[in-house]
Amino acid sequence: MADAKGRRDTEARRNQLARLAELLQIEIADDDLATLATQLDALDALEESVLQDQPPILKMDADWHD
Amino acid sequence: MTDSSALTKLSISAAAAALRRGDTTALALTEATLARVNETEPTVQAYAFVAAESALQAAERADRELAAGRDRGALHGIPVGVKDNCYSKGILTEVGSKALAGFLPDFDSTVLANLHRAGAILIGKTRCHEFSCGGSEPPTRSPWDLERFPGGSSIGSGVALAARSAYGTIGTDTGGSIRIPASINNLVGMKATYGRVSAYGVVPLAWSLDHVGPLTRRVRDNALMLGVIAGYDSQDANSARVRVPDFTAAIEDGVESLRIGIERDYFLYPGVTDEVRAATENVISALADLGAEIIEVSLPELAFTRETLTTIRLAESASYHRHLIREKGHLYSPGTRATLELGQVLLATDYLAALRARERFRSAMKALFRRERLTALISPTIPVPAPLLPDVWRPREDMDNGETPTDGFVHQVYPANLSGQPALSAPAGFTKAGLPIGYQLTGRPFDEATLYRIAYAYERTSDWHQRQPPHVYR
Repeated sequence: MADAKGRRDTEARRNQLARLAELLQIEIADDDLATLATQLDALDALEESVLQDQPPILKMDADWHD
Repeated sequence: MTDSSALTKLSISAAAAALRRGDTTALALTEATLARVNETEPTVQAYAFVAAESALQAAERADRELAAGRDRGALHGIPVGVKDNCYSKGILTEVGSKALAGFLPDFDSTVLANLHRAGAILIGKTRCHEFSCGGSEPPTRSPWDLERFPGGSSIGSGVALAARSAYGTIGTDTGGSIRIPASINNLVGMKATYGRVSAYGVVPLAWSLDHVGPLTRRVRDNALMLGVIAGYDSQDANSARVRVPDFTAAIEDGVESLRIGIERDYFLYPGVTDEVRAATENVISALADLGAEIIEVSLPELAFTRETLTTIRLAESASYHRHLIREKGHLYSPGTRATLELGQVLLATDYLAALRARERFRSAMKALFRRERLTALISPTIPVPAPLLPDVWRPREDMDNGETPTDGFVHQVYPANLSGQPALSAPAGFTKAGLPIGYQLTGRPFDEATLYRIAYAYERTSDWHQRQPPHVYR
């Protein structure tokens, strides 16, 4: 079930990307669209599961030392 | 010391010592290097542009300064190459692309300015894949095997060192582009902590992932070179205002009681070939014998590094290139253009999801280092030796999941770009067929010195760095 939903989500995402590419007049190969859609779905899943309270900050610090 | 071939085999440290003893001159080092360039370039094509005239002038100036008692330090009079994505005042900077053909910057990138200030001699601009990503292959060939992938995107920076047509080079690393050529060419390559080396005047691939760093043949040389190019730069908004230590100060202190982690599930995954695995295990054993504590660790968050980094890279590179593509898109090679345009179809929320995932990954990595009191993680730099050129993007015959050699490269090197941690590749051995194997150390932010300490301790137990590539020495 979850796999089937996942496939539908990825397909919907691929179609969305294809429409955007057409709108922007960018030629993107089908394989690239499919790969990107799969990748973004993985990120979606991560966002839904564990990133809810995670802000987008990247700050290097030196306090990793003992 | 008059044998020019012998001169080009010296390390930076040895050449610097010979200069100060009066055994050689900056001019002799430069002439010997230019002779190597003439000898090897027809075969390996490491340089996009050779600045012979200005190099000779700079060498004469370096000798005059030394004679007058003005010593600029370890790189004074040392010939170096700089990746062609670094601006060089009055010297062509084309980044491997027809879209920038004939471009002559009117200022030096900070990394090059720092090298000039330290008295280094710029031999030329080393070739890179188009805009450091590239959908086309430069003509550069590996002196280890002319039919095999020489590394990228700092392709010429690796090959020039292997061919002995530079003593040190500068590369950039957004997704492994210093460490991959280092591993493939039997070199030491350091991607320092994000912000440690200024990226001002470097044509970006992805601002938040780009790192500038040195490649050398020896560990100590690399530490010397990083010492010259590191430091805060107000012109780079991402430059870190952090003290620059003497990276060689503790390099001989050994590894006694240093805690080095190994995450086998991720970094020694089934894609790692038997020879690469054995070489890595040998390095781990040698470090354990020298007194390091080897700690088995687990970091499940590594699983999402590829999706996260790729989304960030696509978005940032599309943002940088979209205006230039509008103007000169027809001059990009089709593969490069496709890669650089792909990010335009991402949504802002996609980019933000990736930034959030990056921060979660960095936090998990930090927690691991603190919990286990690690000084470094160790891994193979890449899971396979250099593949044949036609096989770089083809599914591996020894894998049943469609994994290509490139997939394997990014699997190993992306994590340190994503976290911004320093990561170093150094020689770990050779395959039976004579191809170099590298190992990777990933450290704590701004603690490059400890990575050099570990790598130097291992280097002293091995002679891998003494091997010469077969295709440029007769």
